[in-house]
Amino acid sequence: MSILKLNVIDLEKSEYKGGKSSLCPGCGHDQISNVIIQAAWENGIKPEGIAKMSGIGCSSKTPAYFLGKSHGFNTVHGRMPSVTTGANMVNKDLSFLAVSGDGDTASIGIGQFIHAIRRNLDMVYIIENNGVYGLTKGQYSATVEKGSKKKKGAMNEQAPIDLCAMAVNLGCSFVARSFSGSKKQLTALLRAAMSHKGMAIIDVISPCVTFANNDESYKSYNYVKANDEVLHIVDYIPHFSPIEAVEVPAGEFKEIKLFDGSTLRLETVASEHNPNDPVEALRAIHEADREGRHVTGLLYYNPDKKTATETLGLTNTPLMALPDSQLRPSEESLEILNAGFRAN
Amino acid sequence: MSLRVNDFTINIATANGTGSQSANLVILHSMYEMGVPVSGKNLFPSNISGLPTWFIIRASDAGYQAPGDYTHIQIMMNKDTWQKDLDKLDPGTVIIYNQDTKLPVDRDDCIVLGMPMTKMARTISPKMAKLMANMYYVGALAHILKIDDEAIRKAISQQFGGKEKAIEWNMQAISEGKEYAKENWEYESEYLVEAREKDPNTFLIEGNEATALGAIYGGINMLSWYPITPSSSVAESIIGWIPKLREGEDGGATCAVVQAEDELAAAGMVLGAGWAGGRGMTCTSGPGISLMSEFIGLFYFAEVPGVIWDVNRTGPSTGLPTRTQQGDLSMLYEASHGDTQHIVLIPGTVDECFEFGWRAFDYADRFQTMVFGFGDLDLGMNRWSTAGFEYPDIPMDRGKVIRSQEQMDAIENYGRYRDVDGDGIAYRTLPGSGLDPILYRGTGHDEEGIYSEDPQVYHATMKRLRKKIDGARDLLPAPVIREEKEKKLGIIFYGSMENTIVEIDDMLEKTGLTVSTCRVRALPYHSELQTFIEEHERVIVLEINRDGQLFGILRKELPVHLLNKIHSVAYSDGLPPRARVYTNMIIDALEEVES
Repeated sequence: MSILKLNVIDLEKSEYKGGKSSLCPGCGHDQISNVIIQAAWENGIKPEGIAKMSGIGCSSKTPAYFLGKSHGFNTVHGRMPSVTTGANMVNKDLSFLAVSGDGDTASIGIGQFIHAIRRNLDMVYIIENNGVYGLTKGQYSATVEKGSKKKKGAMNEQAPIDLCAMAVNLGCSFVARSFSGSKKQLTALLRAAMSHKGMAIIDVISPCVTFANNDESYKSYNYVKANDEVLHIVDYIPHFSPIEAVEVPAGEFKEIKLFDGSTLRLETVASEHNPNDPVEALRAIHEADREGRHVTGLLYYNPDKKTATETLGLTNTPLMALPDSQLRPSEESLEILNAGFRAN
Repeated sequence: MSLRVNDFTINIATANGTGSQSANLVILHSMYEMGVPVSGKNLFPSNISGLPTWFIIRASDAGYQAPGDYTHIQIMMNKDTWQKDLDKLDPGTVIIYNQDTKLPVDRDDCIVLGMPMTKMARTISPKMAKLMANMYYVGALAHILKIDDEAIRKAISQQFGGKEKAIEWNMQAISEGKEYAKENWEYESEYLVEAREKDPNTFLIEGNEATALGAIYGGINMLSWYPITPSSSVAESIIGWIPKLREGEDGGATCAVVQAEDELAAAGMVLGAGWAGGRGMTCTSGPGISLMSEFIGLFYFAEVPGVIWDVNRTGPSTGLPTRTQQGDLSMLYEASHGDTQHIVLIPGTVDECFEFGWRAFDYADRFQTMVFGFGDLDLGMNRWSTAGFEYPDIPMDRGKVIRSQEQMDAIENYGRYRDVDGDGIAYRTLPGSGLDPILYRGTGHDEEGIYSEDPQVYHATMKRLRKKIDGARDLLPAPVIREEKEKKLGIIFYGSMENTIVEIDDMLEKTGLTVSTCRVRALPYHSELQTFIEEHERVIVLEINRDGQLFGILRKELPVHLLNKIHSVAYSDGLPPRARVYTNMIIDALEEVES
């Protein structure tokens, strides 16, 4: 009998798996689903404590393929943030893990994306970004780079919407970019995002193997591999096993303390990046953009921002768990109310 | 000359943003304080300041609350509408005007009474003269109608609660206006208010505030909203009242309030709250419902509870944003694409705004669907009388929610969308519970909640949904029926038409007709509505819209043999319904049927 590997809450990895994917073989999104399973398992999060949220599109189908023991909601196109907001308001103890695409986030749902950031909704928001609409057969999305070309059709002439730059400008408390092919980096960033309190955005370039994996596409596997501007090597050190995690690097590094006590270590690659500075984050994004490269890593981090529910000063008990006696005022209160109106 | 006691209509023409609303409410409340049955209608523009506004006050011992068909006393304060206001008047109307407008009043056939209101107000406070001028017409009316001093004092202190200076100045203005009228006008008034015995329990309140209080007693714990006239005051009242009525044990808030980025997001938040086991609500008007429609379909298909309160304004499009209508009913009933059907609660009084405000959450949880509250600007933003709100007579109904493994084990063959009880309503579990988690979706799904495009599965799901909502009919508020012995003519109506129906009924009975009435209070309609139609020879469906929207719904759902009995009378011009207009239309419709 083989000994099964258990996580810190004694669960096997299989407890975090979902149904069989119906996406195209080789789709970047399936790699991300695997990273989600890995990260949630390694972080020892109770599956029932997670709420999986998504909108509409190839990416938004994926919550069926991971975390089968978590409730989830595959909502409507671009409106996942509002549904998450409502659920978060009445149950702030749930861990919201959202998956969205570039059509969902950068076009139809851009308003809701912006306002979720503005409120600092306590959630992990993964954008599975491939620059095309897959389910409707390969139209360009708003994140496709100028000069990029998908397999069929003309070259894209419009400037892209950079979701990370936008998130930094809006003061999002955790902004990262990664690549579905960089499993180690993505896992560390996702684990850190799960340890963060507040809105954590990870924009993951996730090639569409069917419509845009040709070399002229800036979001193809070959292009991203050749043009990945890695900001720093990231290592996640969980709060429950701080020593065994990673070797101390030889060169320069910087450590970031996360809300649950875990640490994200950023090892300098070329020049040091300070993720607490939005100007540096924007410079990194724009410089890479100018050279047709994709900058990946933790771009920006601000641990001091109040979450949406903290701002509202809600009771500590999640609102959905409040007893009826605290939700319906007493009969006497109504008598006083009526009397007050009569006296006026 | 005969006296008209407690039976006349006053029209007050002002510009908005000039403080006239305070003066108008003082008149309304002081008459109410004397026990005079009185109603007030604010016809205001979509504007902050400077556009014409009319306030119509009707005193009626008969209890008629619609704006009267004739203006007996016209107050003239607004230069911009001066001539138009004058031209509309019937001979003999009493015209009270502000002489400081320097405009002529060329109506020799009327009783014309001028007062230099602005000039007099300037002697109290040059800075506040524009606002204070309005109080002089209050004084003028107090003199002409013999409004009780004490009632005025009470109304003033209610209006300017706590602001001593304002109370003093306004009282002075009223008293000067009264004095001026007494000294300078040789007019022996034919209109008079006479005190009646006032039920000490009654008070006036806007429907939107009543709705808000109802929602609070219904256990609302997530309010999302996007400002839109005429619904904003529902949200603002909830925000104002909730800290006074509820507090968590640790002193925290028990209701999350989110001002959303738009109505789509507001609806999405209600959906999220309902899915996670909360009681979410939003309030809006027709344009908001249009935007929410996609989510409304998801509520219906994924079976998630939530409440959307629609305070109807005049459509289509931006329409007349500050005027009233019952133009959203058919949209609400079948909102969103595909086959849908929604529960719609239709209050006709402020008491029902309160009652349906809390009941809406129970229905939403019971039927696991989105429930509409449907009011309109007239009921929502004008003040109506109540004898006080009644406390909910049943505990909160959270519906079929499985909260423990034992409950789950007790159900044989559980599936999120399996109809184990035969009433079309399946059991649900909540996120976080770990009990039978599923991925909720707006796509086709089987009884386990798994994605499915199977024709039979889809067909069975849609059939069950119809059965579920159909099963709500007789559990929703029954119609209010006032029946005559001779079951000749029946009138079916709903909502704020309640305030005009008695007068319509009286006018029709004066022509020799006997009229029974049936006020619909919910959709899908109750079986008693069908019985009412069956028992009457002819039935009019009376509505404040152009096309007869309830009539359309009835024509679709009633048995065919009843269809030739029902006739539509529908009219809408943005104003609250006037009895004469509808009465004449009913008579015409009946004549057409008979010929």
